[in-house]
Amino acid sequence: MLLFEKRENVSTKLKIAIPLISVFLGLVAGGIAILFTRTNPLTVYRALVKGGFGSVYTFSETLVVAIPLILISAGLIVAFKMNFWNIGAYGQYIMGAIFGSFFALTMPATMPRPLLLAIMCLAGILGGALWGLIPAMLKAFWEVNEVISTLLLNYIALYILKYLMYGPWRNPASHGFPLSKPFELNAQLPRLLVHTRVHLGLVFGIIAVIIVYILITKTKFGYEIRVIGENKRAARYGGINITKNIFIAMAISGGLAGLAGLAQLSGVIHMLQIEINPGYGYTAIIVAWLSSLNPIIAMFVSVIFGGLEAGGYQIQMAIQVPFGIVGTIESAVLFFLLGGEILKRYRIRLRRNTS
Amino acid sequence: MKLTATTILITLLATTVRSGTILLFPTIGEIFAERSGILNLGIEGMMIIGAFFGFVVAYITKNPYLGFVVGMLAGGVAALIHAFISITLRGNQVVSGLALTIFGLGITSFYGQRWINNKLPESIPTVIIPGLSKIPFIGTVFFRQDYIVYFSYILVLALWFILYKTKPGVHLRAAGQNARAADAMGVNVNATRYFWTFFGGLMAGAGGAYLTVAYAPFWLEGITAGRGWIAVALVIFAMWNPVNALLGAYLFGGITALQFQLQASGTTIPSSLLSMQPYLLTFIIVIVATLIVRARHIGAPKELGTPYAREEK
Amino acid sequence: MDKIIVQTKDITKYFPGVLANDHIDFELKKGEIHTLLGENGAGKSTLMNILDGIYHPDKGEIYIKGNKVHIQNPFDAMTNSIGMIHQHFMLVDTLTVLENVALGLKSQGFYIRKPEIARQIKQISQKYHFTINPYSKIWQLSVGEQQRVEIIKTLFRGAEILILDEPTAVLTPQESNDLFKILKELVKEGKSIIFISHKLDEVMEISDRITVLRKGKVVGTVNKKDVTQGHLAKMMVGREVLFSLKRNPLKRKGKVLKVKELEAYNDKGVKALKKISFTVAAGEIFGIAGISGNGQKILAQVITGLRRATSGKVILNEKDITNASPKAIISSGVNYIPPDRLKVGLIPNLNTVENAILRSYDREPISKRNFIDYEKATGYTKSLITKFNIMVPKIDAPVKLLSGGNMQKLLLAREIAEKPKLLIAAHPTRGLDVGATEYIRKQLLKERDNGLAVLLISEDLDEILMVSDRIGVIYEGQMMDVINIEDAERNKIGLLMAGVDSARN
Repeated sequence: MLLFEKRENVSTKLKIAIPLISVFLGLVAGGIAILFTRTNPLTVYRALVKGGFGSVYTFSETLVVAIPLILISAGLIVAFKMNFWNIGAYGQYIMGAIFGSFFALTMPATMPRPLLLAIMCLAGILGGALWGLIPAMLKAFWEVNEVISTLLLNYIALYILKYLMYGPWRNPASHGFPLSKPFELNAQLPRLLVHTRVHLGLVFGIIAVIIVYILITKTKFGYEIRVIGENKRAARYGGINITKNIFIAMAISGGLAGLAGLAQLSGVIHMLQIEINPGYGYTAIIVAWLSSLNPIIAMFVSVIFGGLEAGGYQIQMAIQVPFGIVGTIESAVLFFLLGGEILKRYRIRLRRNTS
Repeated sequence: MKLTATTILITLLATTVRSGTILLFPTIGEIFAERSGILNLGIEGMMIIGAFFGFVVAYITKNPYLGFVVGMLAGGVAALIHAFISITLRGNQVVSGLALTIFGLGITSFYGQRWINNKLPESIPTVIIPGLSKIPFIGTVFFRQDYIVYFSYILVLALWFILYKTKPGVHLRAAGQNARAADAMGVNVNATRYFWTFFGGLMAGAGGAYLTVAYAPFWLEGITAGRGWIAVALVIFAMWNPVNALLGAYLFGGITALQFQLQASGTTIPSSLLSMQPYLLTFIIVIVATLIVRARHIGAPKELGTPYAREEK
Repeated sequence: MDKIIVQTKDITKYFPGVLANDHIDFELKKGEIHTLLGENGAGKSTLMNILDGIYHPDKGEIYIKGNKVHIQNPFDAMTNSIGMIHQHFMLVDTLTVLENVALGLKSQGFYIRKPEIARQIKQISQKYHFTINPYSKIWQLSVGEQQRVEIIKTLFRGAEILILDEPTAVLTPQESNDLFKILKELVKEGKSIIFISHKLDEVMEISDRITVLRKGKVVGTVNKKDVTQGHLAKMMVGREVLFSLKRNPLKRKGKVLKVKELEAYNDKGVKALKKISFTVAAGEIFGIAGISGNGQKILAQVITGLRRATSGKVILNEKDITNASPKAIISSGVNYIPPDRLKVGLIPNLNTVENAILRSYDREPISKRNFIDYEKATGYTKSLITKFNIMVPKIDAPVKLLSGGNMQKLLLAREIAEKPKLLIAAHPTRGLDVGATEYIRKQLLKERDNGLAVLLISEDLDEILMVSDRIGVIYEGQMMDVINIEDAERNKIGLLMAGVDSARN
């Protein structure tokens, strides 16, 4: 019988070794899956890496995908540190996009660009923050399970988006398709690098990561949420105001997700439409978790995920391997990492069943 | 057949049942998994795995029922990965479920490449139930369907019975509400959770398989189109009760069917208004769910998402 | 004919740091109510958990109806006709009474024959003269009714030996009376009962025989007819004094804490504090003696703002702090060493520095504006470590790696260092070795000499007698009496702790 014995402490060696082995095993498992299609796994892996990081252009595409992930995961880390399971980044992202688009669509094209963009960004943060405060209130006052409330709010946000896109905000010139008017130039985030799609959102992301890092490690707020996340009773005992912190944390978490939505819209898509969030909200959860809730690591992990995605598109064209391989490899690695986690906390022992 | 309003309505409702059946399976499955205490956000992944394997087997063997069964089993096996991580390894259930979704979508897209747009040679036969199908209106809607739909009727009744009237049902509800008490009374909490998580996978696979074997019936990458996520919301809408799941599934199914029908018949009602309805419904769900969840005796199983280990004090 | 139905021989059980059961020989006769009496930590619960299969003895044997048995888990216990009713009920609140009874029942197959079980439940309840609706959901029932469901559960499974662990702790006096009636009926029907308690008046009412445990050993087994409460109290608290500490003469200076007619409820909705009043002065240690579960924890929680007082006042240096926020109370100069150091007082996964600043992270010099200066924090922590001689191998390692004694020293250091006006120390030496225990007690005395007002809560009567200037005995949420240390008599206090009012006896 397998018995799990709690470990007293974990050596740093183990802390690094276990994830590395897990990643390796996951890649092997992915490789086996590839073998079934009679393709050489190494070719695929090489092409993936090249497709994500091989040239300046491909790397820039990687960054474009990574930007929303960086922003959202930074925000999620704040919530998760407090043990508040914000599964609603998807909805907060959408609300940020909606709030920001309002200004993009209603302000005149003659408005100075920096001013309009500043307003849009603030609106985006506000939209996401408000959406994040709803589950915060429900949890703080009525102890509603936040996994469920944030999840449900995703669907509502989508409803609101669909309503707007099929209704009042639909571009009359779009032949019935649910699209808004395209954003004027002054509503578009400027590009950072010519001939690439990398936009100012990247700077937002880096700033967000730095701010979140400082918040968590150096401020009173960061200390308080860490205590709350580790031991709620001790937090109360220490006089920490839990309700206040839930609100602040979710305002930040939602706000960053909202900003991500705004940035994606204003920097890449340049209009509001229904398909604006290809799984960012949920992928960011995985990124945050993978990074052990460290925002700087999360930044790099976001880029890796971006690279996988960009690479996936490339290999579809270059060597005709379907995009699905990306998901297969990602999830295989994730499963091994998830499984490996327990080894950090427990040792495995075999015990004979005595009767 | 004269194209009267009644005829249109009946056709619509009949389609509703089929469209709802796709949602009904995964919803019911996840209700039972969550009732045992396991949160599985991998429904979309399990559904599409079931859809893929179901389709391929049905195509090759030309037997839709075999495809359905294999698809169901494929979903169950996928769920076991999540079960192993969540129960034995006590891993993070949210991340594991999401990983399962990514896995399902990824692997079916990867292997499904060469099957795209293939269509099943024959559609699944409609079986008319003698007697019952003669009931005006209801008969045509509910009793001129295929075997899988009939299976779903029986399934809901059986599951309702099991949940509220039998020992496994009591054990299930105990495991999800108070694992320590269940353990103290001799219930094997982890085995219970394994079983019902596996069952959830079977059901998700069944839903996906029904989609590609009967409803569609063809294969496209991502054909489940987010239905797995709708199932997650429906579980909450149903308040973890299988009979409510039926209502919710048909409601959503109906709206999808209506949308399609109207688009097909070229009416002037903007399809945009209709596309919104599923989400309007979820809006109501949240209000209702919040108010009800406040009365803490109905609502999410208390142990949802928390692994169990008997600890020596 | 007196048949012995349960017998333990030489049962011994170790837990890290403590010998919970020390070669215990115990017997239960058929048809008797046998009370297990003792203070907390005496070993009563451990012994009963061994009988119930939750713990395994390190040495010793168990005989049921004359046969030697090995009880590996609660299931084995049930097979051996033992049914235990724990203090914390094992009930699923969203299920009905019937469903809870049916849970795990081997005699039922796949389908639960509800009418049949309902009938049997009604039968049992009528036999023992109480009513219960089998179809009620558990959350709808009162605590007393829930307890009866637990009793029904054991009877359903053919229990002939019932063990009740402090059953009246959660009951109103009326419900306790009803329970006793039921127990007497059970015994008439041939059941045998082990009753765990520390309340002497109940013990005298219900028992046939009484076995007293003290610090893991059996002190003696007596017939109820042959003893008085005084005898029992003496057996419970004994006469040993482990070691004594030198105490400086008392220098009391002005009242710091005034508690006036304080009332509060516990988590189960039972009134846990009943018009409690007392005062603590600067420069004195006020010890609250009492068996755990009589309201001490609730009292500490109310004073520190972690629980609402429903009436009465808590006044600190003339300032009313009743029901103020924990933060406000801390700022007013109240510090608290809680009984659960790992669950409340310290955060196990955070490191020593982060734990050390829990009281001071909000103030200069450790924090400025909204930032925490971790360098200053580390310096502060190091000074605490040196001053209080705490062994911390790695200051940035999680605090759970420290030994129990060092964790407690850290807690104490943190709470004292801020120079509070009132220190509440609850079970400060629980689970510690001799060296750490002595250190903590000396520190408390030292701070008392420096003018600190100390409210000491402890279940160790020796500790209270060693350190306190005045002693208040708490029983069922009431302050039985307040005694000066010069007048304190061990046996008298023992009686008070067990609920015997000097006026009554």
